[in-house]
Amino acid sequence: MSDLLRAPAEIKYAEELDWLESVDDSPKPFSWRLSPKMVRLFILGSERSDGLEREIPQKWFGDRSLVERSIVTLASDRGLLLIGDPGTGKSWLAELLSAAICRSSTLVVQGTAGTTEDHIKYSWNVSMVIAKGQSRESMIPSPIMTAMETGAIGRFEELTRSTSDVQDALISILSEKYISVPELDSDSIVFAQPGFSVIATANSRDRGVNDLSSALKRRFNFVRIPVVTNKKSEAEIVRFRTKELLRRHQLELDVPPTLLDVLLQSFGDLRAAAAAAGSDDEKLESALSTAEQIGVLEDAVLHSDFFGERALTARALASSLVGSLARREPEDLAILNKYLHGVVEPRSREDGGPWPEFLEGGRDAIATLS
Amino acid sequence: MSGTPEGTFEALRAQLQEAAATFADGPGALEGILLGLVDDVDRAVREPLEIFPVCHHSPASAIAMTRRLREKQPKVVYLELCEDMAPILTELRNCRLPVALQAFATETDGFPAAWAPLSVVAPITEASAEYQAIAYALDTPGVELVLVDRSSDHVFQWDPRARHSEDTAARPDPSDPSDPDGVSGSSDPDAPTAGEAAAPHGDAVGLEIGDLRPRFAELEEHLLRHGRVRHWSEWWHQYVELPLGDSDHDTYRQVMILIGSLFRRLAPGDPGRVRVDEDRERHMWTRMREHLAATGTDPEDCLYVCGAFHAASRVEEFGVHGNDTFEIGPRSATQWRHGLIPSSHAAIEAQFGLAAGSVSIAATLWAKNLRRTRVQPYRLTGQAGGGRPKAGKSAPPAIPAPAVPPSDKLTGFLRQPPTLDRLDEAELLGWSVEIVRAARRNGYLASTADAIAVFETSILLAGMRDRAKPTPYDFQDAAVTCVEKDTVPGRRDVRRLVEIMMGGDRTGQVGYEALPPLARDVHDRLAPLNLKLQQRGVRRALLDIAGRPELEQCSDVLWILRRLLPQGAARPIMGERSLGERSIQESWDLALGTHQRALIELGYEGVSIEQVLEQRLRRTAHAPDATAATVLETVEDAVLHLGGRRLADELGNRALEVLSTERGVDGAPEVLHRIRRLLAYYRTSEPVLPPWIESFVKTGYAHYCTLLPTAFTDDDATVRQVAAMLGFLFSMESLALSLGCDRTQLELALAQSHPQSHTKTALLWAARTHLGGLSREDLRARCDELLGNPLTVAAYPRYLSGFLHALEPVPGLSDFVVEAVSNAFARLPDAVLLPWLPTLLTTLRSGGAELAPLLIREAARTFPGTLAELDTWTPPWLARPHPGPLEHTPHPAVAPGHSLLAAHPATCDALADRLGCEGTWAAAAPAAPGAALVARHPAAGEALEALLAGG
Repeated sequence: MSDLLRAPAEIKYAEELDWLESVDDSPKPFSWRLSPKMVRLFILGSERSDGLEREIPQKWFGDRSLVERSIVTLASDRGLLLIGDPGTGKSWLAELLSAAICRSSTLVVQGTAGTTEDHIKYSWNVSMVIAKGQSRESMIPSPIMTAMETGAIGRFEELTRSTSDVQDALISILSEKYISVPELDSDSIVFAQPGFSVIATANSRDRGVNDLSSALKRRFNFVRIPVVTNKKSEAEIVRFRTKELLRRHQLELDVPPTLLDVLLQSFGDLRAAAAAAGSDDEKLESALSTAEQIGVLEDAVLHSDFFGERALTARALASSLVGSLARREPEDLAILNKYLHGVVEPRSREDGGPWPEFLEGGRDAIATLS
Repeated sequence: MSGTPEGTFEALRAQLQEAAATFADGPGALEGILLGLVDDVDRAVREPLEIFPVCHHSPASAIAMTRRLREKQPKVVYLELCEDMAPILTELRNCRLPVALQAFATETDGFPAAWAPLSVVAPITEASAEYQAIAYALDTPGVELVLVDRSSDHVFQWDPRARHSEDTAARPDPSDPSDPDGVSGSSDPDAPTAGEAAAPHGDAVGLEIGDLRPRFAELEEHLLRHGRVRHWSEWWHQYVELPLGDSDHDTYRQVMILIGSLFRRLAPGDPGRVRVDEDRERHMWTRMREHLAATGTDPEDCLYVCGAFHAASRVEEFGVHGNDTFEIGPRSATQWRHGLIPSSHAAIEAQFGLAAGSVSIAATLWAKNLRRTRVQPYRLTGQAGGGRPKAGKSAPPAIPAPAVPPSDKLTGFLRQPPTLDRLDEAELLGWSVEIVRAARRNGYLASTADAIAVFETSILLAGMRDRAKPTPYDFQDAAVTCVEKDTVPGRRDVRRLVEIMMGGDRTGQVGYEALPPLARDVHDRLAPLNLKLQQRGVRRALLDIAGRPELEQCSDVLWILRRLLPQGAARPIMGERSLGERSIQESWDLALGTHQRALIELGYEGVSIEQVLEQRLRRTAHAPDATAATVLETVEDAVLHLGGRRLADELGNRALEVLSTERGVDGAPEVLHRIRRLLAYYRTSEPVLPPWIESFVKTGYAHYCTLLPTAFTDDDATVRQVAAMLGFLFSMESLALSLGCDRTQLELALAQSHPQSHTKTALLWAARTHLGGLSREDLRARCDELLGNPLTVAAYPRYLSGFLHALEPVPGLSDFVVEAVSNAFARLPDAVLLPWLPTLLTTLRSGGAELAPLLIREAARTFPGTLAELDTWTPPWLARPHPGPLEHTPHPAVAPGHSLLAAHPATCDALADRLGCEGTWAAAAPAAPGAALVARHPAAGEALEALLAGG
């Protein structure tokens, strides 16, 4: 375990990747470090039928065919665009894919309104240009250019947040696979090495902000990551990720299954309420994604650990839930209040268990906030 | 093993072994299971009567079956299919597959009534082993086809829930995964909802020959997870279908029995279901032995076609030499009818929980296998559709059946290493190009580059999934990856386009000859329309009845069909038919081909649509929950569609009967409307009213008079219902009185009514005004009082609602209602008026569709037409002089019988004396109106006087 706050996947799973590489005897495309099957195995975990000596844990939870399609896309000529709602694990999948394929998941460009073409291609070290003139030495390559030069996977987060001209700069990179540097007289073209590809992510809620051009769409294969609605897989994801996040705080804590169930159930209820809502005012601003559940749980665990009884309680969970989801006042608070009184109250009367405590915690939190 | 490349089954072997290891309890149990498997296979193979295990919708089964039939040429084919369906099999040749054999019972006898109608369907596709067996047996002279499975009746008799919960009367749910054959539970989230896809089969219980699927969710999940496939159809395709494609007969049999045996031994599932399965096996073997004994056929000349699950049976009755201890129970008294209904690939997938597109893929694979192996399939002569060359009567070329290996095939099967299948590159290339073209047609920005990408991705995906050759499922994934972007431009997404490309959904059609008499009769009678009504889709029919009177009969048929068939089968666009009204031109949208099943199912109920309609009307009228309103509706339908008086009179008498036993007034508005319509119809079209309607009016008058006081006070009776009762009483009054009813009954009933609610009070006032018990002035004074009193003003709107409803029974009150509403707007405080306005609007909209025009007409008469007149306008009710105190002394001249009393004062004097009243007789006023007339023509008066004096 490294002492970084958040180690990238290739560092965190370095030992596992090394071992997989050592046992991998299948053909590998380009300069890939693992064969496609091993990449899949690294991400989705091993089965007994794989016949491996050690067990590889599952790291991304979702449909198997999505992962297969993503891997195959990276082995083909096209870039991969992961599209989905916030909190569905797009970036995590992108990171795992890059780590497994080229052991480098940090060649990332973050798409924002302020991203410029320089961030994708290259920029200049002004002092060096003044001192030595324009040369390869005084050039600062972008992460994408670095990926091209090294035959690695470049990542572009939130592609649709960047403006159209920046997006268009990607077109030539993806089709011609080189970047020309007209400022240089010689050695003015940077060619991509075999193995180079791009994984971009886009938030489907941002549709219409900066729509992709048809030309760029054509150069990407789209893989849509759905919101997890299967309660069983969602429980697995929440448990897995929370454990990982808590490890940063040197906390080894098992979330009681009943409380996990309360969390999943309440998110399920709120999602159903949001789906049935007629206007935006009637639904919570939050997307109610799995990532948000993880956030709520982590917050509750930390709160109980630092200020509470060192054990997670339903009360802490409720107050964390209200605290995380109430973003607009009074709309969100009103919805949560309605939920607590309309759904949780009857349930706590009928089912008992942790629900009465959850209800009480929620009421207190709402009272504090309003 | 010649013919089968070594190792074809390696993957399957690994899958099954692992499943066995996981689900067996410990190594000892595993060994037991493996030995048991060998026993099962051994027993089935040694059986002198050759068992041919099949799996549903498996082209490999179909090919193996065809080969075997050509090689063995059996004389008797036993088939796992309900034995009562045998007579309709030959009708298959008149149909375009897929169609379903159906057994249908409208009325049940011996089953809970809630189950009715009972329906069992067994869909038949062309790419199935059972169709091959049927086609062979029916078209080869001297070959007998014997259906040996339990009858449709036993399907329901043996239903586990029928055994356990007859009292709960729960109908077996066709979509329930635990259902004997209707296995459900598609894992594909994109699949169309079962409801819409299964529409062709309705809610029938589905039967499938060769149901072979783990009956234990965990086992299936295990196989899917380890097979790295998404659903069961894909697993079967990859691990059994492809490797079995070219195997020899013995290998095929052994593998199929092995899989059946494994599923059976590992996880037999629900014990109730296992018992049904075993009973079915006992039934089948008993029937086969009976047949063998009766005909003396050599078992060697027979072939028994059954699901692989049943081939691995361990019941004692198994085999030609099995025990004969099973007794087949008698069928219930339920009358079953049999026929063919159209089916479709999507319907089969939905009914049996297969992945969307899997049956279509099986059909494509079957066609391809035929081309590749050059096996000549059997095909019923005269079979429509398909377009492939018929099997022909010429001797089929000898099929090079793979040579039979000497021994111990099972060991070989379990030892084979994997091999590469040939990669059909050209086909994949064709698909890739085709899907890009289809995508372009559907609005996608797809290009040749995409075709290349799809091709490449398919191969990469297949490689990653350990498949030597991309399956249609890999291709589908690849197409979605490369062509699908963030939005779907047209109606169909890429996944759906691939499904369509792979053959799409194919819908069968039942040919004219195979239709029941009723359906044939309908088509014959609609023939003058000159439309291809058998084909699917909507046809527009134009009927110029005035120009071509013979089309009137078609119109009659269409109106009945509209009444009997589901919505959309026959939809009038122009023209209508109501009591006493017929159109001279009509246009219809007809979709009889699309709704063929509904038409065929009508055919089970009778031989003509008129008969079916009559039966249904009778059934509705005699249903235990029938109300007077519903029975009157059937009378109306009978008059409208069937003509003649016989049935209408019979149903009318029934309505009378129902009305007299009714204790509630819920149906009063409906009854009023219907009886009014019927009366109007009979008055105009018949010389005399039918006796039943006269009795109905008479009974209704007495009935509603009796119920009136209770209805006025009962909170459950709405004001609309009470208004409808009064409407009946007032509007039928003249007829009822002429038939001998007594008005006093109504007056008494009103006198006994003491409503609590304001709306009903207003209604009562209106009724009394109508009967003369309350004058307009009184009514006006009461309303003024309500408006003037600050304590009651808040309730005024409720009175108004009552007056609005009173327009129904007392339409003459409309001017007063306009006045009352105007007063409300003029005098009600806003706090009362505004909250009431929505109530007024909703009352007028819901209940007052007929009242509103009346009110508006009256208002238009009352209020000025132009703005200028408004300044000088005074409402009529204000213009009238205020009525003075009511004169209680009656006018002497108009007092009836006054002169009579004056002429014979003795009675009055005696009474006055008795009561202690001292009065004197006043002289009659001389100037009574009409007196002059009497004076001028005294004869009439004298005659009357003589008559009265004499009487």
